[in-house]
Amino acid sequence: MPPQPRPLGGQSPPVEQAPACGVDPAKLCQGEYAIRVKSHIAVLAAPLLTGCGGRHSWLAGAGAEARIIETLFWPFLFGAAVLWLAVMALAIAAFRSRREETRGLVRAIIIGGGAIVPGIIVAALLVIGLVTLRALAAMQPGLSVQVDGEQWWWRVVYDTPAGAVVTANEIRLPRGETAELLLSSDDVIHAFWAPALGGKMDMIPGRTNRLTLTPLTPGSWGGLCAEYCGGAHAQMRFDVTVMEPAAFGDWLAAEAEPASAQALARQDGLSVFLDSGCGACHSVRGTEAAGQVGPDLTHFAARQRLGAGIAPLTDAALRRWITRTQDMKPGVEMPAYPDLSPEALDALVGFLMALK
Amino acid sequence: MTYPRLIDDGSVWIVVIPPVIWAAHFLTCYWVAAVWCASGAAPLTPVVWAIAAITVAALGGIGWAAVVAVRRYGGLRRPGRHVSRDEPEGRKAFLGHVALLLASLNGVAVLFTALPVLVFRQC
Repeated sequence: MPPQPRPLGGQSPPVEQAPACGVDPAKLCQGEYAIRVKSHIAVLAAPLLTGCGGRHSWLAGAGAEARIIETLFWPFLFGAAVLWLAVMALAIAAFRSRREETRGLVRAIIIGGGAIVPGIIVAALLVIGLVTLRALAAMQPGLSVQVDGEQWWWRVVYDTPAGAVVTANEIRLPRGETAELLLSSDDVIHAFWAPALGGKMDMIPGRTNRLTLTPLTPGSWGGLCAEYCGGAHAQMRFDVTVMEPAAFGDWLAAEAEPASAQALARQDGLSVFLDSGCGACHSVRGTEAAGQVGPDLTHFAARQRLGAGIAPLTDAALRRWITRTQDMKPGVEMPAYPDLSPEALDALVGFLMALK
Repeated sequence: MTYPRLIDDGSVWIVVIPPVIWAAHFLTCYWVAAVWCASGAAPLTPVVWAIAAITVAALGGIGWAAVVAVRRYGGLRRPGRHVSRDEPEGRKAFLGHVALLLASLNGVAVLFTALPVLVFRQC
């Protein structure tokens, strides 16, 4: 498996120069025909193959856990294919058979194919699955991250010797180090799944489930809620950014700091933020805003996306998010602010985009 | 009467015994592991031995039920072949046959229940 995600189907096959053909335009010459067939196959295969690459692919092998799970997938797929072929062959043979006396054969098929062979196969699958689970459970974590599912975003708290570092909707992890994710929820059952990195785990109110991730490939990987949790479930996404350990250390130290002086200097934007009541739900450390209901915005502009991973963080997207929140994410708990004056909106966006 | 009343010749209870043993085994394994892990004890070795012992006992019980089904009920005879009327012999053979199939199924199920504790060495 190539460790790097690559856009499959994005590259068009090299087009050979078609040789000059006969006068009849309706007839295709050899080379042309081959190109058309190839492109048809590409068009047909593209929807199937796009699932095999990219930031949400569990075949991307971006984490040690994902690779362990992948070693489980191929034997299972091979076994299922062999079984399917055998059953189909048997069905065809049964339709075509003209044998008169089949009692002994039928008995052998029922006892062998109905009890003994499935028993052995299920036992083998169980043992393989258990050994895989044991390998997953044996990973020893160095870093502890608490992730809480909320309707419909992710509260992320890093447990560091210097204290808790709170952020949201983007989880950064150092490459090559096993991180322990302590998963819980404050409202309904969610499920945490970053397919390219590892397994899926439920987040259950009142319980803490433990999942380890050992990222191997730096990059930005996608994650999502994998348990229906209400209206905006499909828009409850997150990013996992895998960094080199040194860069991760720098980022975590920066994330622990209060909001940048550059942002706090934007007094007009900060006052729009506070006067509009944003601080009732959001925290910006270093200001009066200390709400705990919504995502912590102290280093909001350092994130790649807004609205829990639903849109790239740009000036235009942020304006739309503030004024037409429900249009971008139907069901979202945050109220829209369509009545902000253009000047106030400019100031607010400027302040938020300065929260690096 | 060489057998307890419940497993008397022709009694329907022979059919119930293997699944009951499986259920009891399943529940006991679950309890033993849950209580041991909840009490915070680290090594799993005593649990492994306890579950191994429970499993051997359960397989013994199921095996005994299978032997009874074969010897006293004639469970190896296939039903339907010689039974054309409502008579005690045919009924007995049918019950024995069902009990024998259930015993083999539950024997496998008991082994599957016990497998994880042999693979995992921690809670």
